[in-house]
Amino acid sequence: MSFIVSEAAGLHGPQLEKTAEFLLKMGLRYEGGAEYTVFLVDEEGEILGTGSLCGSVLKYIAVDDALQGEGGAAAIVSRLVQHAYLLGRRKLFLFTKPQNEYLFRSLGFFPIASTNSSCYMENSRRGLRNFLDSLEKGEGVQGAIVANCNPFTLGHQFLMETAAAQVDTLHVFVVSEDASEFPFEARFGLVKKGTEHIKNLILHESGDYIISHSTFPTYFIKNEAEAEAVNAELDLVLFGERIAPALGITKRFVGTEPFCAVTNVYNEKMKEILPRYGVEVIEIERKDGISASTVREAMAAGDLETVRRLVPDATYDYILKTIGGEDRLADTVLREDPEQAVETGPAEQTKGARV
Amino acid sequence: MKIITTGVAGTMESSDIIVRIEPKETNGIELELESDVMQQFGKQIEKVIRETLDELGVEAAYVNAVDKGALDCTVAARTMAAAYRAANSTDYVFKEVTKK
Repeated sequence: MSFIVSEAAGLHGPQLEKTAEFLLKMGLRYEGGAEYTVFLVDEEGEILGTGSLCGSVLKYIAVDDALQGEGGAAAIVSRLVQHAYLLGRRKLFLFTKPQNEYLFRSLGFFPIASTNSSCYMENSRRGLRNFLDSLEKGEGVQGAIVANCNPFTLGHQFLMETAAAQVDTLHVFVVSEDASEFPFEARFGLVKKGTEHIKNLILHESGDYIISHSTFPTYFIKNEAEAEAVNAELDLVLFGERIAPALGITKRFVGTEPFCAVTNVYNEKMKEILPRYGVEVIEIERKDGISASTVREAMAAGDLETVRRLVPDATYDYILKTIGGEDRLADTVLREDPEQAVETGPAEQTKGARV
Repeated sequence: MKIITTGVAGTMESSDIIVRIEPKETNGIELELESDVMQQFGKQIEKVIRETLDELGVEAAYVNAVDKGALDCTVAARTMAAAYRAANSTDYVFKEVTKK
């Protein structure tokens, strides 16, 4: 059986419907996000195979049984990879069923973590290794916290102080994916300032392998996600199996989570999965119930007094500096030089931050 | 030839090879090769890629290649195309292919 290859930038209308229908027939659900899609079609235009690029993730790859063994998957993956490279995305990831691992291996992908139902792969034999090698190492009993800090609150500070007191080295990973109200540079900068006094703390960017769009996509669509659909297992297996041993981490600290259903499920899964890899999960009672979402709500309501009570000085200063201006949060980054920030008006600041 | 950006050439289809070349800070060619015929021809493919880059005067590069059973001439041609693209160069010297 022969096929014709076609492509589309984004899926819309009837094409989207046909693709979703084909994927469903192949046991995959289309959940949006396709930026670039490749199709294999027969002479009547019926879809026989498809695959899409979503950020740095190759998704929705399926080939009809009639085409198996005809190089359909290779044709799809080739084009997706070429397109991604042209866009400057070099580190690519995909999820597949464990039984298809061999197929993607032959297309230049390497497994980095597997569960019973899914296998996570990347397009480099040493991608994860390089990331682990690049991390600053600690000593003695080591613990870890992964947090978005959107923004850094007194609650985060308390969690980190408490955790640091229980270990020789505390590794703090700030989620580097830029999908939050506060941009990454700002979040990272505020954690840095707010933890300067904790001497045994090493600050890291979470990178591609801890709570990223590829390891844990649901994290970034928290509000829309159903708690049951949270697919946190791969992220946690990857942490337990590869990241924790590379750094010698034996404890992972989390704050109690009474507010967010997705984070709550993630924490529950953590308690189930990490101990299998010798990582103890320690839950620390949230200080006065402080949460970053409360801070964001107070900001939105213009209630600076509440903000003041919930965040450290550096975070408060940052919020004061960036407040005012329509899209203040999405577009500003933390400025190291306060004078410069004063000289330029909010509009200028926004422009400058983009350069 | 200096590698200044990412260059890609080829496909993952049967009898082809996809070669990606990227800048590297330190001298030397760092090669990551995956091939369907690694056991039989892995060394030969690597040799062709390295020789081709050597002829082009590429001294520092990170190379990732996924081979699907390409012949030597294909390996050389894809490597050259990727290198020219990664060097933003259009000063093609096609006779180099025939040397193989």
